[in-house]
Amino acid sequence: MWENMQTIFEMFPEAVIAGAVIGAICAMLGVFVILKRVVFIGIALSEVAACGIAAAIMCHIHPFLGAAALTLATVIVLSYPFESNRLPRDAVLGIIFVLASAASILLVANSGFGLQDVKALLYGDLILTSDTDLTLILAIFIPVGVYLLSFLRPTLYTFLDREAARVLGLRVVLWELLYFFALGLTVSAASKVAGALLVFCYLVVAPSTALLLCRKLWGVLVISVVAAVAATMGGLYVSFSRDLPTNQTIAATACVVLAAAVVVSAACRVLLLAMHVVEKR
Amino acid sequence: MTPTTSNKDAIITCRNVSIAYGRQEVIHDVSLEIPRGSFLPFVGPNGAGKTTLLRAILGLIRPRRGEIITPFGTSPPGYVPQHRTIDPLYPVSVRQIAAMGLYPKLGWWRRGPKKLRLTVQKALEEFGLGDHANKIFSELSGGMKQKAMLARAFVSGADVFIMDEPTSQLDEKSEKEVFAHLLRLNRDEGKTVLMAVHGMHEVLELPARICLVEHGRVRLAETSDVFPARPASPGNTANDNSVKGGR
Repeated sequence: MWENMQTIFEMFPEAVIAGAVIGAICAMLGVFVILKRVVFIGIALSEVAACGIAAAIMCHIHPFLGAAALTLATVIVLSYPFESNRLPRDAVLGIIFVLASAASILLVANSGFGLQDVKALLYGDLILTSDTDLTLILAIFIPVGVYLLSFLRPTLYTFLDREAARVLGLRVVLWELLYFFALGLTVSAASKVAGALLVFCYLVVAPSTALLLCRKLWGVLVISVVAAVAATMGGLYVSFSRDLPTNQTIAATACVVLAAAVVVSAACRVLLLAMHVVEKR
Repeated sequence: MTPTTSNKDAIITCRNVSIAYGRQEVIHDVSLEIPRGSFLPFVGPNGAGKTTLLRAILGLIRPRRGEIITPFGTSPPGYVPQHRTIDPLYPVSVRQIAAMGLYPKLGWWRRGPKKLRLTVQKALEEFGLGDHANKIFSELSGGMKQKAMLARAFVSGADVFIMDEPTSQLDEKSEKEVFAHLLRLNRDEGKTVLMAVHGMHEVLELPARICLVEHGRVRLAETSDVFPARPASPGNTANDNSVKGGR
């Protein structure tokens, strides 16, 4: 096993580092995606980023520029308080998802690329991460990680109790926008190599694992990061050993980790219940 | 409504305030001057406009007409909302909830000095939550959650407290304790307290002067005029500052 891992580290160092960094930061951001109950934003933004990549390919510009422009524009649209109107935010996210998924395929349909090429272009492959991709990922993800850890308190308060946060003097619109901008940037930067599936997996599956195992915010953040990085390494290993598609294998591994967390969480609850019964007797 | 005579010591001033949700106006042309150190319960039935008026004073709702002058830009009030607004999904402890009230003193990321952390502990102990400080907020009972929200409001040491039915989830004993605490803060420390209440039993615990809210209009009244059954109780005295206004 260790020999295989060593080979992966030697042959694909960019993929390993990129996977770990994307996984760690997306997992931290994802904790708030879940707590704010806007899970669908993860998949919608990933599809928008893919659509931006398609548009960038057609316009012969860097894929990140296309993905970032479209994703950030979507974030601005989503910052409009839809809750106060007749259309819920989830419906808007669904519409954006449908539009972006269709548009990304339609944009490259007549480009002359084969279906596999289109899939690879739009939905990436972590194992093919280049030096340039890694540089871009580090340039985006490290500042986003610093932002999130530095401003955890106002971000938490804004999401935890928006009204009370406003009364306390927090600029809630600014903090919300900042968070969603960070989310948009990371999704854009990650989409070219990680693709919509893996980005969504990091944003949702890893934080869900953490929330099942821990009830303290810092603990949830740490476990979320550990789960994402462990799933990445495990997935890379299985993918390399069994010659399976990398992104999908990592996503499946993350789900296995989640399933293990469900079992552990249930076992803990049963144990606590048993202890309670014994104490009562 | 004719504006009231100018009160230089007014900490909150509402001038001809009208508030609407969509096309429906729910507060009509209200003028109020609330002096520093007042204790003013807003009394009225459900849907009268108490919450709307308090939310407008807090700056959470923009009036359609008129203006509201408050000092909250520089010193935020202690606030207890009517409904618990915290999603049970959040993995936060009771201590973290109470500490939120200290945010104006802490800033973006700084860890509070030990003194501030002791302030949080003291506030929690005051509401009987000292032993529950590390418990997860969502695992508390309804009454305990409300006490945690009260601790969050009091920990800030604000000059003004605005509370929307702060005892609606509490048992009678806890309700009396909270009212006693509020009256003490008002009488001994000169804090301004505005609170929405709708039950008569609550009004009987509170000072004599109330602000009656009915159909979006406001009228200042003596409790004994509105509720003749009110006993003359020495326990429910508060600062007798003259609140002016009405409609």
